[in-house]
Amino acid sequence: MFNSSQSNQTSQFKPVMQSPLHPFGLAAKQEKVNGTKGVWANEVPLLGYISLRGNVQNAAFINAVNSALGISLPTQPCSMLDSSFGSILWLSTDEWLLICPREQRATLQKLLETALQGIHSQVFDNSGGFTSVILQGKNASDVLHHCTVYDLSALQAGKVVGTTFGKVSLFLQQDKNGYRLVFRRSFADYIWRYLERSALPYGFGIAQLNDER
Amino acid sequence: MFVIRCPHCCEVREEEEFSYSGEAFVARPSAPEIESDENWGDYLFMKRNVKGWHWEMWGHSSGCRKFFVVKRNTANHSIGGAWSLTEARKEYDAEEANA
Ligand SMILES: [Zn+2]
Repeated sequence: MFNSSQSNQTSQFKPVMQSPLHPFGLAAKQEKVNGTKGVWANEVPLLGYISLRGNVQNAAFINAVNSALGISLPTQPCSMLDSSFGSILWLSTDEWLLICPREQRATLQKLLETALQGIHSQVFDNSGGFTSVILQGKNASDVLHHCTVYDLSALQAGKVVGTTFGKVSLFLQQDKNGYRLVFRRSFADYIWRYLERSALPYGFGIAQLNDER
Repeated sequence: MFVIRCPHCCEVREEEEFSYSGEAFVARPSAPEIESDENWGDYLFMKRNVKGWHWEMWGHSSGCRKFFVVKRNTANHSIGGAWSLTEARKEYDAEEANA
């Protein structure tokens, strides 16, 4: 006969949240950045990613976003902005990506949705679709040169560019600590292995995350 | 290999970041269901195939993912300019009028 109590136990839905690079066990391998390796990287796992779309010609859209977030939306091509909630990246003439701590994403989304009510725009939670990797060390740019066609000398702080990485594409930015790579979840395995392989000649370490957003 | 200036990213980028999307400003018949097979076939397949300056569409597939127009010389790959679709239309129409 059908045993309902047992069935209930085995079929209980227990969702587990795992970052795209979870299989590499990076958390267990990380160490304090030191001089023994030329390249240091790690995944900044499970952040919040909110996509925002709208028309920059529409003053109502810009004003609503600016007042909701307390920022000035980066409308210059390839520009980005650090803010109290995280960072906001220009991806295209009508598209931005907000990166925030995962716990804040619902609040941020709600805030934008409320402010943009009745204004032609789109706000959606893309947190399941992206991940970020930091890349540091004295040979970080050497490694990136193996991976992308972008002219890295043109990548100043405050800039974000969509470009190639091997056969796939990603968004690349630079800050005082090094580079940050933002890419689709489905590219994660490919990009990480490509990085590991490219960094082999320089020494590759898993960097300890210092409260990275 | 050559480089193209994306009019949306406002930066010169490697060809590898872009994807070619065929001749620009090929007008799609407004009512395909009543169009003759001959006209529809011409629309689909009969392209100018010029040697020299060619107006073509490119997509910035690894960057901003927008489509735009490039005027490229098919004989030597020199690039006469890159514009958004709207801006290119003006240039294109002016050139067609003078031709
Ligand atoms: Zn572009």
